[in-house]
Amino acid sequence: MTPVLLLAPVMLPLSAALGYALVGWRPRSTAWLGVLTTALLALDAVALAVTVTRHGPLWTPGGLLRADALSAWMLLGVATVALLACWASPGYLAAAPGSRRRTRWYGILLQLFVAAMATAVLAGNFGVLWVAIEATTIVTAFLVGHHRDRAALEAAWKYVVICSAAIAIAFLGLVLLYDAGRHAGLSTVDALDWTALTRYADHLDPAVTRIAVGLAVIGFGAKAGLIPLHAWLPDAHSQAPAPVSALMSGVLLPVAVYAVLRVKVIADPALGTGYLRTLLAVMALATLALAALLLIAQRDYKRMLAYSSMEHMGLIALAAAIGTPLAVVALLLHMAGHGLAKTVAFLSSGHILHHHGSTRTTDIRGLAGRTPLLAGLFGLAVLALLGFPPASLFASELGIARAGTAAGLGWVTAAGFALALVAFAALIVHSGRMLLGPAPHPAERPVAFPIGTALPLIAGLVAVAALGVTLGPVTGLLQAAAAAAGAP
Amino acid sequence: MTDTTFPLALDLSAGVFLLCAFGVLWRRQLASMVRLFGLQGAALAALIAILGLHERSVELLLVACGLGVLRAGVLPALGRRALGRGTPADARETRPVVNVAASLLAAGLLTLLAYVVTRPLVALSPSPATAVLPAAVAVVLIGFFALVTRRRALSQVVGFLLLDNGITATAFLTTAGLPLIVELGVSFDLLLVVLVLQVLATRLRSTFGSTDLDEMRELHD
Amino acid sequence: MSAQALLSTVVQVVVVAAGGPLLVGVLGQTRARLEGRAGAGIGQPWRDLRKLVRRQPATPTGTGWAFRLAPLLLAATSLVLAGVVPLLTTASPLDPAADLFAVVGLLALGTVTLALAALDTGTAFGGMGASRAITILTLVEPTILVAVFALGARVGSTNLAAIVTATLHAPLRVASPASLLAAAALVIVVVAETGRLPVDNPATHLELTMIHEAMVLEYAGGDLALIEWASSVRLTVLLGLLASLFAPWGIAGANLAALPVAFGALVVKVTILGAGLGAAEVFLAKLRLFRVPELLAGSFVLALLAVTSSFFLA
Repeated sequence: MTPVLLLAPVMLPLSAALGYALVGWRPRSTAWLGVLTTALLALDAVALAVTVTRHGPLWTPGGLLRADALSAWMLLGVATVALLACWASPGYLAAAPGSRRRTRWYGILLQLFVAAMATAVLAGNFGVLWVAIEATTIVTAFLVGHHRDRAALEAAWKYVVICSAAIAIAFLGLVLLYDAGRHAGLSTVDALDWTALTRYADHLDPAVTRIAVGLAVIGFGAKAGLIPLHAWLPDAHSQAPAPVSALMSGVLLPVAVYAVLRVKVIADPALGTGYLRTLLAVMALATLALAALLLIAQRDYKRMLAYSSMEHMGLIALAAAIGTPLAVVALLLHMAGHGLAKTVAFLSSGHILHHHGSTRTTDIRGLAGRTPLLAGLFGLAVLALLGFPPASLFASELGIARAGTAAGLGWVTAAGFALALVAFAALIVHSGRMLLGPAPHPAERPVAFPIGTALPLIAGLVAVAALGVTLGPVTGLLQAAAAAAGAP
Repeated sequence: MTDTTFPLALDLSAGVFLLCAFGVLWRRQLASMVRLFGLQGAALAALIAILGLHERSVELLLVACGLGVLRAGVLPALGRRALGRGTPADARETRPVVNVAASLLAAGLLTLLAYVVTRPLVALSPSPATAVLPAAVAVVLIGFFALVTRRRALSQVVGFLLLDNGITATAFLTTAGLPLIVELGVSFDLLLVVLVLQVLATRLRSTFGSTDLDEMRELHD
Repeated sequence: MSAQALLSTVVQVVVVAAGGPLLVGVLGQTRARLEGRAGAGIGQPWRDLRKLVRRQPATPTGTGWAFRLAPLLLAATSLVLAGVVPLLTTASPLDPAADLFAVVGLLALGTVTLALAALDTGTAFGGMGASRAITILTLVEPTILVAVFALGARVGSTNLAAIVTATLHAPLRVASPASLLAAAALVIVVVAETGRLPVDNPATHLELTMIHEAMVLEYAGGDLALIEWASSVRLTVLLGLLASLFAPWGIAGANLAALPVAFGALVVKVTILGAGLGAAEVFLAKLRLFRVPELLAGSFVLALLAVTSSFFLA
């Protein structure tokens, strides 16, 4: 049973990709293949979560894939966002038809993307984790450049170059960590395994480990949109098709943070909590500052959502810097809630783009009058992102603030939240201008937004609200995941 | 390998390895950059082969052969094909962000920085192999510098490949390589990245008319 | 200061003074043969000097002491260099007072006097040649210092004779990275300092491309002969320095008996280097002027790498 539970998340999307390669993308039939496989993936994630909570970590023979509570939580996040994105893809592609060949490639690459991310969260050692994250860069390159216009190509180029360079730097960090591990007495196989490295943490050479951990955090942090190698994020998220942006914001960024957490688990016993706390706090505050400042004068609503992702990743990095149990629980909850809310936001922005043909906020006015359902969904998603209850982001942000003050990082947390407040204000102003007010051409017919295409978005919002009201069945999993993330 | 020729051979191949990185910053012709990158790949393969001969490891020798084929053969061939499609005027690097003389001096400073930064690594296990580690780390820094300061698409790709060469050299000099499966995964990923970049560069040329990255000014805040 | 050492040094100076123009002849003859011409023979530079000496010297109106002093000063510094640099013998009596910094200073003095003379003439070409020459000098001086310093760091002294003697005793040092990098840097420097291709074309007649030739445009007769001879002596000294630093076998100590062997070795080494330089010139094109700083920055970086590797790899 164990190997099936672990292999299914990787095999299901791969088989869907194969299906698309062989049969192609037909709007009525094969388009739903992706939904089927991600629904099965979600079921598998639930089963895995239950098994891991009851029986502890699982692994495949050979140790390539491994699932503990943290992996199970991340897989749940991956599965739900992937399900929403695949559910919304047929509606999105129907509104913006491309050539048969291009939609087929879209289908294949999207499924490969999901497979790579599932592999990353189920990775058994740093080697597999690195290869999976690098694979996500390769696979999403053409997804980002899907539209083939100048802006999309520019975004795709920047994305591939910056992310590949960042991942190479992370690889250097992993190489040095392997070196330190080997000199501490670990065997070839164990020196890349985080459980073994944590056991031998006090034997690791501090100077080498410091360099290694710093490089790994900067490299993986770049993939999460943290400064200094963040420049790809606004371009890639704004130019990619909406379901792809949703997947990137909702899953890829958290998976990169997951990699940072795995490194942190080794770094804290080996170097003391101070080193990574300082590094992550600096990166978090810088990212928050940049995102907040650039949100103020933002004129493109997809870029606005991308900078909002950066801001939330900054908050998550701040939580990682704090590192106490409450902070880690809040971090994991925030990743889940942000993933869901951002997915809905990006998906609705995709529909707005199709209806209005422009991504500039000044071109969209009085949306609430023209397409009330779409405007409502977009507005609710933005409100959820801003942290209004009952969305779970309210609880997670409150948790981060409390954890920060309790851990003695009061000033840092206050600064972070002050910057988040600036971003909050900017988001409200821009979204309000888009949604509220009279429609520019009142005589026009309202644009149709069928309930079928709205269903995935509604489901996402319901999930965020549910998560915010009660943790319910996932409480045990969340506690175990926080423990696995190294909170003492 | 005797005890005196081993450090000498290592020093020589590491020296050629580092000098190729300098050469990439020095030259303006994109074709020369690709050739120098190929030479660097050969030097890297030689470095690993020397390590393999010293430790009498067949696995290292096989890895050296594979790496040599990939980085001194396949990747430069891809680069030459990408160049062949452009016009002769395309074949040069337009003014880089930092001019050539300043780039060379910056590269010298980065080499000194590499020596300083790798002190704890060399101290962890002093040996002739780790003594040339600064050269590998210097190539990483120089590759990153080239990636950041060049304006042509192909020069950026060569910078990225230099970065990767340096990291591979670091991996082999510190611990005689990572597990084979990781090395295979890394090489495969590298090949895929270069292929992706080549396709993107072709599309760039057909959409923008040239691969001068300064032409891409659509996305900004 | 023994009599033997003094005699060795005098022989060295005479050999270099006589052999300078011959070396230029070898260079020219190699180029000619490779280009498919018969060539004018090795002795042609001496014949040219003889022709120049018989002509009337000319001094442009408006020039002052700089113009008149330059040929003499250039010749004097070249002769001193010939005596100080270890070519035939490592036991020159001038040795304790002269080391790397002094040698570099003498080289610079020669170039600077020539540049001042060119400025003194007040012509456009003179000023242009002078500014170009000083640009190159600025970039070349640090490189020579750093490159030879890399070699001297391991010996613990900047005295050229000490460095050469140390290399004689430890021949494998020549193949070390520091040594190879310093050699590469010094080759580029020698080419730049002596005004050969690809930095400067000595056979050009187009004034706008000249560097060294532009500075001596106004000289005629015996003055020009002195300048040409001094330039050839500088070339010989620099090539000989390259040979002594990196292939010192055959060089004599203070012993007079070893002198013929040293003479033969020096002739062979310098002829090979000169022929190699001439052959390379056939295949190289002159660099555009704004590319020359790039080349010299590259050679400086090579010298810098030589110093770092001599400190860290030793």
